[in-house]
Amino acid sequence: MYKKGVGDFKFFVGISSLAQIATRSDRVCVLNILGGESSDVTPVSHEYSGGNVVFGTSPGKGGSFVETALGGIPVYNNVLEGLADGHRFTCGVVYLPPAAARHGVGELIRVNPDMRKIFIVTEKIPAHDAREIRAMAQSNGVDIFGANSLGVADSWNHVRIGGALGGNTPEEALRKGSIALLSNSGNFTTTIATYLRMAGWGTTTLISSGKDVYIHYAAPEFAFALANDMRSKAAVLYVEPGGYYELDAEFTKPVVACVVGRWKSTLTRAVGHAGAMSGGGDDAATKERWFMDKFGVDEVYTPENPVCSRMGAVVTNIAHIPAALTAVMAQNATMPDFAPEGSLDLKPWFGRARDLQLSSELDLPNVVAMAPYDEQIEALNRQVGAVLPRQSMKDASGVSQMDPVTQVSSLRGMSILHAAGHPMSANLIRALLGRNADERDLALVDIAVGAHVNLHGTVTLAAVEAARQAGNTPNTVLAAALALVGPARAQQARTAVHGFIDLFTGSGLSVDDTASDLTAYPAPEELRDLVVGPEPDPRAEAMVAGLAARGVTSMPLRWLAAQGGHPRVTGVVAAIVGTLVWRSLAHKEISRITAEELPWWLELFGTMIGAAAPVSAHTADTFCGIPMTEVLARASMTELAAAALLGESPDASLLDGFAMLTGLLLTNGPGAITAQGAKGAVSADGPQTPERVQLNKAMIGFLTHAGYSHGGNGFEGMAFLLERFRGTGLTDPGDPAHGVNLGALAHAYAAQFAAHKVASKEAGADRMSIPCINHPVFKGKDVNIDPREEFVRLSMERRGEYNVFHSYYRELVVALKDEGATANVFCVNVDALIATGLLKMLWSRYQAGTFTEHDLENAAFTAFLFGRMIGCAAEIDDHQNRGRNMDTRTPQKALTFVS
Amino acid sequence: MNLTGMLHGAKLLQFAGFPAAEILGPAASEEEIKELISRHGEIIIKPVFKGGIGKKGKAGLIGRAKDLPTALREKERLFFAEHRVGTTVAKANGVTYEAMVPAEHEVYFSLTDSTHFRAPTMTITHHGGIAIEELDKSLVAQVPFEALTGMRAFVVANALTQLHAPSEIVSPLVQHLPSLWELFHEFGMTTLELNPIRMRPDKRGRLTPVACDFKCAFDRDDPRVDRLGLPRSLFSVNYSDFEHEVNQLRTYQGQSDVYVINPKGTILAPTFGGGANSLVSEMLGDDAIISSDFGGNPPYEKMKELSRICYRYWLAQSNVLFIIGGKANNTDIFETFRAMADALREHVAANGPTPVYAVVGRGGPNLIRGMGVLRDTFEALKIPYKMFGFDSDMSEVINYARAADAWMKAGGREQIARQQRAMAG
Repeated sequence: MYKKGVGDFKFFVGISSLAQIATRSDRVCVLNILGGESSDVTPVSHEYSGGNVVFGTSPGKGGSFVETALGGIPVYNNVLEGLADGHRFTCGVVYLPPAAARHGVGELIRVNPDMRKIFIVTEKIPAHDAREIRAMAQSNGVDIFGANSLGVADSWNHVRIGGALGGNTPEEALRKGSIALLSNSGNFTTTIATYLRMAGWGTTTLISSGKDVYIHYAAPEFAFALANDMRSKAAVLYVEPGGYYELDAEFTKPVVACVVGRWKSTLTRAVGHAGAMSGGGDDAATKERWFMDKFGVDEVYTPENPVCSRMGAVVTNIAHIPAALTAVMAQNATMPDFAPEGSLDLKPWFGRARDLQLSSELDLPNVVAMAPYDEQIEALNRQVGAVLPRQSMKDASGVSQMDPVTQVSSLRGMSILHAAGHPMSANLIRALLGRNADERDLALVDIAVGAHVNLHGTVTLAAVEAARQAGNTPNTVLAAALALVGPARAQQARTAVHGFIDLFTGSGLSVDDTASDLTAYPAPEELRDLVVGPEPDPRAEAMVAGLAARGVTSMPLRWLAAQGGHPRVTGVVAAIVGTLVWRSLAHKEISRITAEELPWWLELFGTMIGAAAPVSAHTADTFCGIPMTEVLARASMTELAAAALLGESPDASLLDGFAMLTGLLLTNGPGAITAQGAKGAVSADGPQTPERVQLNKAMIGFLTHAGYSHGGNGFEGMAFLLERFRGTGLTDPGDPAHGVNLGALAHAYAAQFAAHKVASKEAGADRMSIPCINHPVFKGKDVNIDPREEFVRLSMERRGEYNVFHSYYRELVVALKDEGATANVFCVNVDALIATGLLKMLWSRYQAGTFTEHDLENAAFTAFLFGRMIGCAAEIDDHQNRGRNMDTRTPQKALTFVS
Repeated sequence: MNLTGMLHGAKLLQFAGFPAAEILGPAASEEEIKELISRHGEIIIKPVFKGGIGKKGKAGLIGRAKDLPTALREKERLFFAEHRVGTTVAKANGVTYEAMVPAEHEVYFSLTDSTHFRAPTMTITHHGGIAIEELDKSLVAQVPFEALTGMRAFVVANALTQLHAPSEIVSPLVQHLPSLWELFHEFGMTTLELNPIRMRPDKRGRLTPVACDFKCAFDRDDPRVDRLGLPRSLFSVNYSDFEHEVNQLRTYQGQSDVYVINPKGTILAPTFGGGANSLVSEMLGDDAIISSDFGGNPPYEKMKELSRICYRYWLAQSNVLFIIGGKANNTDIFETFRAMADALREHVAANGPTPVYAVVGRGGPNLIRGMGVLRDTFEALKIPYKMFGFDSDMSEVINYARAADAWMKAGGREQIARQQRAMAG
């Protein structure tokens, strides 16, 4: 039972020409106009079509408007309300969810006698509803397009209805021409239109038919309307397996049919488009044959084998459509509509091979994108640095994690075991810039940090001394110093780095550029005042001399020199930081915030190292006895930190051991108390306004979250060893010929410990434990090994280093088993590395009486802080870049009350 | 979502009140089988396969028995029978014992939606019992009807008259068949086939149609299927774990169609749009791990979850991460790429770096912002990449991905792995 329409169809068809499908006189009502997809798409369609949407519906939201450049589209609760308000329309667009689409169609048909065309965008409409939609439309004389369609468009009329053909810039795909388009794929409707333009073909009417089992407006009706459309000289069909629609289509104009989906014939169930069932005589191969029979060809058209006739060609690759169409139309003595707009050659818009040796076919140079994308890419390139998605960073980190199996923590992808083999400045680069440091990076960090270690004559030094005199532990002493390195102290350098980045963004200059004339990049006046001054600045000159002594050059340093005048400290720091960050920014490895905060970080690190040294170590010209010229020209950050700990310049043999200690202590993941303190401080400042995060306060957060138990306990192992080695006459812990009988020493204590253990068990007292042995994970085997200890021990052995205290611990765990104090050979754990390493360093000073036990305790604590300050800086930077305001709060429901 | 055989078919037919052959399931006792034989004289033993499967009779997978020992022998032969159709092998798990229905007439009946008539269509012939496509078209009636009215008695009567069907079968069929429309239409079916329906005479010679085999396909997008209360496991046989996880996310917002092409493939190609999916799957062949269509403007969260699943299952073995689609109409490229990028960051953070070459081809709204997010992510994760605009021939972009795969296999993967190791110190 269907209303009689045009043609000889056995069902109703109302469209006699493609020109009637999307016209300027069509008036449209959009159901669910405020839905997510519709609210994006409808305004674009409305504007492109000169304002064809009269109203939309959204139950419960009547009275509102959808804003468009042509004025607001009114929204009603239902269709009847809109009609009652005087609106009239002939086309309905359905954006409803699948369960509601059938009812929406019913509403449109039943309340609006003017209804002529309905466009259904909704996907996944049940076949049940599709049947009933079909029946309703047929009996009421309404053409349906879809479902699961992206609507229709008319390049001549400049109209788009019921979907998003052409995306948010329809003009880009829809150029007036002579080719009609019917496609099972909405996406390919637009893509094919774009491809056709490349070959000089424009379009008339474009129809995204949908691909459900019921394709309400399909190939037979299309062929009929194509024949009656004077504008269309030919058509392109994009066809997928499933359905007999194309078999029944009788074309009278040339057609290029792109049939895809042969691969689906190997499958046994529906894939992708719902109608695309394999088998059943409607698979891709069969459809190819239908079209070949229609066109009188016996092969598929390819560029190598361009088989076609006057009636058409079959292709199986959409990229072959333009050429096939041109070939078919040539046989019809018809030229393209306009000059080809381009080619379909491979055009990489973005790409980077990271110095890989690519094959020649992969190694394509990037090209300038077509307009307007070229400008968008340029704008994107002007946004330097990475932007990370924000999320709650409570108990989360983007920089550190502990491997639950090995218990080895890593920082920015590098395990602390590997970090232990690097100097502090390299680990600092890893922590804040996320990459390996090269020689120049190390020199720049060493100078920038070195420039801030000497606190002679500063109020900071007075604060440090006052804090120390008050009996504070090292962490609190350092916190006092950092409180004075507030945001104002870093403001100028931050502004200078900001100005530098602005100046060179988009320049395309490499940080290693040595050829360009940098006077072509004069600093704007404000920036210039920050980086150079009229008078020489001795501190700045000393830094410049340090750079020269280390042979460091870079584009930013050359630029500073090219400014004329005398460099200020701010200028030198900005050039140093510019050098450090430039490549990382360009490659989006760090954010701009991180880059601009780097001067502050460098000052904070320098101040912490300086504050750890005794007051006497700071003089006008020296730090820990090292002349300041040498600090800047030669000393490493590791050396300065070790010197601060010892109060004097360390010998070279000590440096590797010290670097190892600080490397091992870098991080223990975001759950460590120190990391939690640092992250809490960032969270409280509100990282969503990252420039307001106070880095010095965040570092104080880290420091206040260290203490006697966390960080200060490193001395326990040292105290144990001091007790064991008292009176042994040990002089050089690094000499394998130390003359101490370690086995006897270990067995003696093991026997004593075993006896004590039995006694305490009988007395019910707490069990005594030995620091630096055993581990909750690495236990239970006959012989247990902490892999972290093993890694460092083997590294030391390879370097020919020896540590008697470490050897003692190895003897002790065996002796404890032998004496029955332990059930198996306990592991020597990672803490032993710190205790034994530090004691080896300080043994001679302790023996000489220049270091007391209190000094040793301070040294152990400070070594922990030096390592962890780098790891916590990474956490702070990470939280600043990724976190949300107050994200470390614990929700009420997760809290407990204890009575 | 196909269902075959009388084990479940008989229960479904009860919804329509349509008579079915008596049947016992795999758990039937010897006593029950014996009684079934004694009641009906002969029984048919059929293996139980999940989902749709080809013709069992031709494959010798149907047994008959008039006594218990024969029935048990056939049970043993068929219980774990294998059935190969094309590239697909199905393994039985159990047998059914169905009463033999003696009849003079066998009828073929099916309901489906015809793309030719653009309407629900009944296909019927009284020359049933054999494959319908083997019959001359003149012996078969195909009758479309209107969905709102439904398949009423007159539709059946007209068809049988047109076929010159024996008069004695017309009345019982006209009486019983229309109820199948309710089963088909109201329970979310897209196909229902009963072949054969055997016309069983009663004592007075009056015929009753008895369904002796059952096939149906359900519409996975129709919640009406749930009314039947069928266990989901009935349909799960076709899906791999990966597909099953993705199917959990199936909503009307955004496509999420996936199919594992080759679990040992080396190109992971999240694809946008059915068209792109076809082209990519066709050109990549067995190099592709999955065939997918993630188009349809999926929301951020859904896209991220889809990506997470893809990476978790396949990224480690992938040489190429190939993100490909045409020029999107309404899919927000920024949102989808941001979701894919975020999921990739999280995956690498949790699992460590993996050597992979990224190739991207796409167009659509917010394209450059989307590509920018991917670029930043690839840079941060030290992944080499190449991204093409929509003005590049998509098939050439696919060829580029294949070339990248070949390069990775020829030492490129090791180059990237070395680089990643060096960067990790």
